[in-house]
Amino acid sequence: MSSLQLELVAGPLRSMRRAIVWWSVGMTALVALTLVFWPIFKGSTGITDALNHLPSGVLAAFGLQDFGSPSGYLRANLYEILVPILLVAVAVTLVGGQTASEEAGGRLELYLAQPVRRPAVYLGRAVAAFIGLLVVALVLTIAQVAMDAVVNLPIDLGNLASTILLDIVLATFFGSLAFAIACARPRPSVVIGAGIELAVLSYMVVALFSFSSALEPWSQLSPWSWALAGNPLEHGADLWRFVALAVSSILLVLLGLRAVARRDIAAG
Amino acid sequence: MTAIIETEKLTKSYGTQRGVVDLDLTVEQGEVFGFLGPNGAGKSTTIRCLLGLLRPTAGAIHVFGLDAVLDGVPIRRRLAYAPGELRLPERLTAAEFISSISRLRGGFDVARRDQLAERLQLDLHRPMKELSSGNRRKVVLVLAFLANAELLVLDEPTGGLDPLMQRECVDLLREARDAGATVFLSSHVLSEVQRVADRVAVLREGTVVASGTMADFVGRARSHVEVFFEDAPPTAELTALPGLVNPLVIGQRFTATLSGPIGPLLTLLAQHRVASMLVEEPDLEEAFLDLYGGGKP
Repeated sequence: MSSLQLELVAGPLRSMRRAIVWWSVGMTALVALTLVFWPIFKGSTGITDALNHLPSGVLAAFGLQDFGSPSGYLRANLYEILVPILLVAVAVTLVGGQTASEEAGGRLELYLAQPVRRPAVYLGRAVAAFIGLLVVALVLTIAQVAMDAVVNLPIDLGNLASTILLDIVLATFFGSLAFAIACARPRPSVVIGAGIELAVLSYMVVALFSFSSALEPWSQLSPWSWALAGNPLEHGADLWRFVALAVSSILLVLLGLRAVARRDIAAG
Repeated sequence: MTAIIETEKLTKSYGTQRGVVDLDLTVEQGEVFGFLGPNGAGKSTTIRCLLGLLRPTAGAIHVFGLDAVLDGVPIRRRLAYAPGELRLPERLTAAEFISSISRLRGGFDVARRDQLAERLQLDLHRPMKELSSGNRRKVVLVLAFLANAELLVLDEPTGGLDPLMQRECVDLLREARDAGATVFLSSHVLSEVQRVADRVAVLREGTVVASGTMADFVGRARSHVEVFFEDAPPTAELTALPGLVNPLVIGQRFTATLSGPIGPLLTLLAQHRVASMLVEEPDLEEAFLDLYGGGKP
């Protein structure tokens, strides 16, 4: 990698380091706070029995099945909704902040006035945001494994790793979507709003369509379903789930790079 | 002479608004070209087309003989740009920012960086968010002059600088020209351009309304003159002076419009008791329109 290519990634990484630190602190706090209560729920059949009185669609929508088991507890409290959506927020805000916000604020102009290709500048920022996401996810994983040991929560490490990796590719997908929007139209509120809202919508499709047998098959169109529908904490993950999200992400990034090469740069 | 910048019927529209219209410009190698006009005239649009940040709606723009749309990277390798708007990364220090740009350009001479910072009295180690607009201006000037580029594109380069630093900036600009660089100097301030430009074009509403050499212009532009005498003004002698029009006397105050050299007026005033005198900077657009009879070049 040349010093130019390195700088196109390292420069944005330097400016997002505070955000990465704060997201990592937040994730660690979330995991610690959730796991602290595990001893209360450990092996509790009462709560599971009570929850089992809810309609099966509600249990599935919120990942509440088998709440008293280690994987059920982590799924319901962290990995069904909260962690995936937070990692999506990390990806979308980092990539939106480094592309649309910087361009709309006029801070990209001096970089783009240098002998560098515009798509290379944007791609460097996408890679930097992806690295930021990986760092936050790594801290989350370390916090999870450490807290599992502290509160004695037995979980299959392979399944945990698969789940977090699926969360990462899901966040990468929506980060790539935000990137493509930023490349086409550098409006920060649109980029960040659309990225997060579409992620929430894709979760809602999975959660609500499961109540209707007519709609339920359509939920498989949702990227959220590709990532997490198979309950990876309990059963691990199929390879196609990673591939589908990774390939879609690459396509979105390529579409974005094509768009940014062809349009005017905002004056700021 | 070799044309370094050449635009042919360059047009850039923003929806229904037009940035520049059928702009024809030629900047020759080794000259300082003043690009003058009020805010919103289309100067920045032209520069952003030149840098490849905007795609022209119609027409063409060539820099170093290369197409600005297709050959942006080789063009930008040979030019340096100091923007008028100072939107810089807030958290970086000037040194960090310069290093970042340096890595994109294949390296800057650190000794030269320090020398430029010293001449412009810029503290390289303070975060950008703590810098005044004048000091931010110095950061972009250091960057522009560090690149040893064949073409310098400077947008309002002395804005926010104190008079001493303005002079230093002009000196740096002259040194760059003496070293063989071509300078495209965009400004809405005539005096900024007047000090260094060889040729000038005046832009209004996206169109060049006048152009010519600075030598043509200097000394022939119309200025508003105001003189306060300690006694009654020598009205008859003043009105007889060549180049003074629209004379008006109110008490001890004399006003007129002067076109042409100021020497005869100063000679006359030296023979009288003058309390104060004010010569306003000429309106550059009017001055050029006068010079060229109001027609396009």
